[in-house]
Amino acid sequence: MTALPQFPWLSLLIGLPLAGALLCLLQRRSDGECRWLALTTTLGTLAVSLWLFVAFGSGGEGWLLREDAAWIPRFGIRYTLALDGISLLLVMLTAFLHAIAVLVAWPEQRRVPLFMALLLVLESGLMGVFLAVDLVLFYLFWEVMLLPMVFLIGIWGEAGRRRAAIRFFLYTLAGSLAMLLAMIALYLLHGEQTGSYSFALAELARTQLTLTQEYLLFGGFLLAFAIKAPLVPFHTWQPEALSESPAVGALDLTGLLLKTGIYGLIRFALPLFPHAAQACLPLLAALALGGLFYAAWCAYGEDDVKRILAYSSISHLGLVVLGLAAWNATAWQGSIVLMVTHGLTTGALFALVAMLRQRTGTRSLAELGGLWGAAPGLSACFLLFALASLGLPGLANFPGEILVLLGTFRTQPLWALLALPGLVFAAAYLLRLVQGTLWGPAPAGRGAMADLTLREWLILIPLALLTIWLGLHPAPLLTPLAGPVQAALGALP
Amino acid sequence: MTWFDLIALAPVLILVFGATTLLMVGAWHHQSAPLVVGGIAVALAAAIAAGIAPPGPPEIAGMFSCTPYARFFTALWALGTALVLMLSLRYAGERDFAAGEYVSLVLFSAAGMALLSGSTSLIGLFLSLESFTLALYILVSFHRNNDPGAEAGLKYLVLGAVATGFMAFGIALIYAASGTFHLPEALYGLQTGGQLRPWALLGWGLVLVALGFKISLVPFHLWTPDVYQGAPAPVTALLATGSKGAVGAVLVLVLARAPGAWHDLVPLLWLLALATMLVGSLCALPQDNLKRLLAYSSVVHMGYLLIALLPGSADGYSAVVFYLTIYAVASLGAFGVITSLSTGQGEPQLLSRWQGLGYRYPWRGAVLTLCLLSLAGMPLTGGFIGKFVLFHAAIKGGFTGLALVGIVASLVSFAYYLRVVLVLYSSDEPAPALHPGTALEHAVLLVCASAVLLLGIYPAPLLDLTAALIP
Repeated sequence: MTALPQFPWLSLLIGLPLAGALLCLLQRRSDGECRWLALTTTLGTLAVSLWLFVAFGSGGEGWLLREDAAWIPRFGIRYTLALDGISLLLVMLTAFLHAIAVLVAWPEQRRVPLFMALLLVLESGLMGVFLAVDLVLFYLFWEVMLLPMVFLIGIWGEAGRRRAAIRFFLYTLAGSLAMLLAMIALYLLHGEQTGSYSFALAELARTQLTLTQEYLLFGGFLLAFAIKAPLVPFHTWQPEALSESPAVGALDLTGLLLKTGIYGLIRFALPLFPHAAQACLPLLAALALGGLFYAAWCAYGEDDVKRILAYSSISHLGLVVLGLAAWNATAWQGSIVLMVTHGLTTGALFALVAMLRQRTGTRSLAELGGLWGAAPGLSACFLLFALASLGLPGLANFPGEILVLLGTFRTQPLWALLALPGLVFAAAYLLRLVQGTLWGPAPAGRGAMADLTLREWLILIPLALLTIWLGLHPAPLLTPLAGPVQAALGALP
Repeated sequence: MTWFDLIALAPVLILVFGATTLLMVGAWHHQSAPLVVGGIAVALAAAIAAGIAPPGPPEIAGMFSCTPYARFFTALWALGTALVLMLSLRYAGERDFAAGEYVSLVLFSAAGMALLSGSTSLIGLFLSLESFTLALYILVSFHRNNDPGAEAGLKYLVLGAVATGFMAFGIALIYAASGTFHLPEALYGLQTGGQLRPWALLGWGLVLVALGFKISLVPFHLWTPDVYQGAPAPVTALLATGSKGAVGAVLVLVLARAPGAWHDLVPLLWLLALATMLVGSLCALPQDNLKRLLAYSSVVHMGYLLIALLPGSADGYSAVVFYLTIYAVASLGAFGVITSLSTGQGEPQLLSRWQGLGYRYPWRGAVLTLCLLSLAGMPLTGGFIGKFVLFHAAIKGGFTGLALVGIVASLVSFAYYLRVVLVLYSSDEPAPALHPGTALEHAVLLVCASAVLLLGIYPAPLLDLTAALIP
């Protein structure tokens, strides 16, 4: 199964950022050193994940890499990490976006060691979420990644930060606690049936449940993931959290944290409760489609750039969930690819908004405009990522979107037809965003503006290259997915 | 009582004789530090004795047991008392406490808690409970020049005396109905039925009221915030950990030895748990005083305990013991931080005084954060494992509804604990200067913090131990 020696690569992915975080907190010399330390750590993690991609990027059936150790034997809880094509892509995305995030956070002046440490702990938690296949371990990382985010929002955020942070935390926690209850109930049911109490995903997936039980437990899991994703009636925490959070927080939140909801759906909720899930597909699709349009509509009406991006991300995730609800390999692959590329493009847009904010001091569309004349480099990048975000062919989001639509059309033509106008909506609000910031007259009283600095180019160039490359050649994303998606759908009834 | 019995009671005797000796010495030597250090040594000796002593006879004088269960709690309360005394060293010195009395009272109360955790008869229960409550009445108002302290002491005394009355009357009724003080038999009176059964039920209800007062179940919780606020911080720590913990421990002991007997009281306990969690949570939310907040949160924690007690299963009892341990460690850490930040002028209680303290005193800020997160039940801290075993036991026992309430209560608890943490790290204003803390205090905090983390990351040994302890 593995060409590598039994080196704990997966634990390394989790441990490396954690060690970096500790070093950041313990070193007392300077903020500058701390930044370099954080950058080195994230680059090291990125190197490890790249190495895994090189080794396992060709995909394959089953787990590509697995680590297992006893943890709490009394409850059958194990420390089990496993990597397949889906988690591989998300691990890559996490490592890459965190290297970018450290660069974005470079100008931060307040409490740098703590800031960097939290960022690294967040990375560690995310890695854990994408790798854990023991339910309690997953839950542990799921909550551990919340806390640094709450602090990032609550300490470095904007005026309404404390409220936004607590609200974000409580919302997501409500979901997670429902999931915890469902987990324990499933564990007990499984134990009563088989006599062996275990929290391992593979074991629990074999539990025989009545349909009612499945519905209830699936509901618990779905609540957690729908709040995190967020699906529309559960989304109200998200625009506030995003607009109050610092630039890095917003990047991390949309780029990665929201993806954990979808990932949890794919990895846990659907395989554990296939019957209930399939019965709920129309509901899921309805929520997804509703979200797609509702969020696009909200985005069109917003004036705050960050909130526009927040709603746009809800809208995009609607499409991702629609792909999952279509329940076939093409759509699933499209959903996962879209998830990854959306992380890149939205991450880039949030980074750009931060740069814009730094230069103009505002996030309001009404006070922006005429940027192209002042800062052409920044504007060109903004345009590129906005176009990528609305799904222009040849840029990163296009392959994912088209696969989702094709896949959906094959099983549920009506849903696909309904989703199509959503893409037009996306074009509408994104063009409005571009128009409001880049073109038109510059507001009176704005002084000269510097174009991109070296650091900012370093952030944007890798993102731009990836965006173009993955748009033209999405195969590196699709290859590792083929095996696990087929396997997942094959195992489900 | 034989020599053998006395040797079996050695850990408690060390506490009692140590306390008496220090009281005597304190009459002639007024220097505070040596007395407190002596008290620490006595408590540690008792903890070690409890740790290494072989199991004693199952029952001594028909009142107390020396089972591994009782030994575990004796060691725990003795250790906790040692930590409390370490925290008191500077605190008591700065306030000119009469050290002899203070130390001996703390040790006496530890002895009472240790005995209570192993009581096997209603008389033993009554005596040990009253002995440590009596010590606490005095300790709560030990700071004579402090008005809130005096008020707290009076409130605790009056309400406590009422609870004692309930207890005595309840025990009398139980005796009348069952003809025995001895615990399993006194409970079996409930099972067998007969004409006197209503009286026995009433008696047990009254005893429950008294115990509910001590662990502040709603509606018997009204003293809690005032007493927590007014008592000296180390005493609050003792009150929050030992006094509540010991009552929790004896509840397990009573229930575990008479499985099924409790059945008729389940609806009552169910309601108590519900009210306790809801009212505690709602009252904790708006608090601006950290000690009052911790008081209400302790109310909620006792509600959680009831969730695991109700199923009456071995799982539930071991969950309670595990949770009590975690809870004791985390509360001790939280009150330890308050104590070590206190200056001779007073304790930082209002949240406004905690603004940005996490930056000014990073170590203690981190410990408080850790302890609060553990109380809230954050993964990677012991509190999460504690909640996990509680909810596991409740769902397994069929109390899913209560588990749901518990989930909601923990959700709310995150709101108030997290608020404190965010205040701790808010950078709006420069933090006020408080006491830098002594090395000993930092060491105590280190012990609490590492225990909280260790139990969160590697709980397996303690889980196995608590499961093995249940009689």
